[in-house]
Amino acid sequence: MNFNPFSKFIQKNKNRPKEKWKEVHMGMGFLMILYISLKNLKAGKIRSVLTIGGVALGIGVITFLLSMGFGVQKLIVEEVTKNNPLDIIDVSNGNLDSVIYLNEESIDKIKKIDGVGKVEKKVNVGGKIILGESQTDAVVFGVTEGFIELAKITYQSKENKFSNGENRAIISSRLSDLLGLKSVDETIGKKITYNIAVNQDISSKFSKDKKFENSETEIVGVVKSDAIVIYLPFEVVKNSFEVDLAQEGKVQINNMEKYGFAKQSLEQMGFVTESVNDLIKDIDSFFNTVRAILAVFGIIIMSISVMGMLNTLSISLLQRTKEIGILKALGTKRLDIFKMFILEAILISFIGGIIGFLGGYGIALLVNKVLIFFGQKVGVELYYFVYVPNYFSGLIAGFIFFLGVITGIMPATRASGIHALEALRYE
Amino acid sequence: MQKKIKLQWKKLQGSSYNGSDIKEGEREVVVVAENVFKDFILGASIVSVLKDVSIKVKRGDFALLMGPSGCGKSTLLHIIYGLEEPTNGTVFVDKEDIWGHSKNWRAFFRNQYIGFIPQQAFWIKSLSVVENIAIPGFINGRSYRKSVERAHKTLEVVGMEKWARYRPFDLSGGQQQKIALARALLLNPKFIIADEPTGNLDQKSGVQLMELIKKFNQEYGITVLMVTHNPEQVSYATRVIKMVDGKIVLDVDDPNEISKMTNEF
Repeated sequence: MNFNPFSKFIQKNKNRPKEKWKEVHMGMGFLMILYISLKNLKAGKIRSVLTIGGVALGIGVITFLLSMGFGVQKLIVEEVTKNNPLDIIDVSNGNLDSVIYLNEESIDKIKKIDGVGKVEKKVNVGGKIILGESQTDAVVFGVTEGFIELAKITYQSKENKFSNGENRAIISSRLSDLLGLKSVDETIGKKITYNIAVNQDISSKFSKDKKFENSETEIVGVVKSDAIVIYLPFEVVKNSFEVDLAQEGKVQINNMEKYGFAKQSLEQMGFVTESVNDLIKDIDSFFNTVRAILAVFGIIIMSISVMGMLNTLSISLLQRTKEIGILKALGTKRLDIFKMFILEAILISFIGGIIGFLGGYGIALLVNKVLIFFGQKVGVELYYFVYVPNYFSGLIAGFIFFLGVITGIMPATRASGIHALEALRYE
Repeated sequence: MQKKIKLQWKKLQGSSYNGSDIKEGEREVVVVAENVFKDFILGASIVSVLKDVSIKVKRGDFALLMGPSGCGKSTLLHIIYGLEEPTNGTVFVDKEDIWGHSKNWRAFFRNQYIGFIPQQAFWIKSLSVVENIAIPGFINGRSYRKSVERAHKTLEVVGMEKWARYRPFDLSGGQQQKIALARALLLNPKFIIADEPTGNLDQKSGVQLMELIKKFNQEYGITVLMVTHNPEQVSYATRVIKMVDGKIVLDVDDPNEISKMTNEF
């Protein structure tokens, strides 16, 4: 007979010293272990599908709930910060116990606080706006150009802009409507008359409240707002009506590391401070609580999935006891048997996790789209509120790996510890 | 350290053999079991299965271990194969004191140098016939492609190539034992250890399998150590070792005597 398929192998191994066995006995390669694990999953299709489905359901529910939670939180924070940058602290003259106004002296003091950049002021007085036959009450704000900028007040204008030294005004779209002006084009350039009543508190020049009538200004801008307001340059208000104290202001922080210190210093000066940061902290705190509740639900669901996984792997271990026996008898190392089982658990967890994550996210997007669609039908404006931050994706990836390892450890340890002969005799 | 002490103790207690005197006559002695004892603890009692057993097998031998059920022949086989640790005594296979090494070493040794055929063929259900045959290659760290390529060649040798893509459990008992032989041959072993491989086969399949094993024994010098109940299989043997009640009662390697035994059956 002309057979010897192993001649090369025989030659190669003839002179191999046995002492070097460790160099030769590499054990099963990772790809081989992966292949056998995948084959085992494929062999028990129904069991694998059900177990993977259990994990997918758990991860899917968590992703579905949390992606909406994250999305709603992001939407709210974006809305809040849209016109209120994070580096701005609003200051006001506080409570009745400590009334303090923004004047040149206090502004200089504020500017000297470490981390503070710009300081801009705003005063508000009651007024009446008159255009021809139309007249309406409105809040008159005396603001600086810098305040308009920090407050992110965007307005429509033509060639003339709002300027500190010029007698020009910006009015709200609502005020424009009340004055009978039908469009922005019609509004801009109109000259209006106004009367205002100045409280003695905001002027160091007089000791009684004063009224000023028939002042005039030119409208140079329209800001979209439902409030009935008019913005005049602070300088104009100061020169025309002797107002030199502002009730409110905006303080820009140019070094966010000093944010806390600056805020504290302002409060020590007697100002009441308000910042979108505080609001965001409250929002975050609320959503953290919501997420914690959702996480508890998730953990309950995942616990059921974990039990399913453990059950599947334990049954798989029992059913494959003889396979483990023959593998060991043929020379498989304990570690390779361990790897085989742990890899199977990681595969179940990983496949289930990926399906669950994508499924949960996909369903959340679908629900979002359906809500937007029906919202449009009934005239309600809805937004996209599904969002998964990168760190959450990372957390899910880490969690499913951890889940695989944790659920796999027990059966893998048992499988690797079985004695080959006992396994072969197992009935 | 404990292992070393245990080994020293065993040598002092049970064996005078040190593995250096491995030649006997013309052929090299490749399997030596010296003063082997094996006790099993069953509840409160100790059952002695092997009682001071010593055997020697030479390279190229076709050695049959025979005896009634429960005489300890399978236990002796498992001890020589490195699966069952002896209570006392030493076992040298190819000059290696196999019970003086670690578990992982024995796993390597089994994988690399010994082909194993159990009484009932055990398979990885999820793998095909050819993949099951390739398992010793996978275990050895060889690639899938190379192991399967070699498995195909081995299947040709046992005449089972057309069953390569089947699942092992789809085959008959005789066919399964043929592919178990193919699996045992995959890494070109120096030894084949077979535990009643024909025990579950009909006579025709049993003869076919024995012919194949004999062929590999004769043509490639693979040393065979086989447990059997079947006295008719003495005709294939070059050495017959008979055990009764945990002891060797007969160890014959004279062809004339073996021939006489064959004629008796």
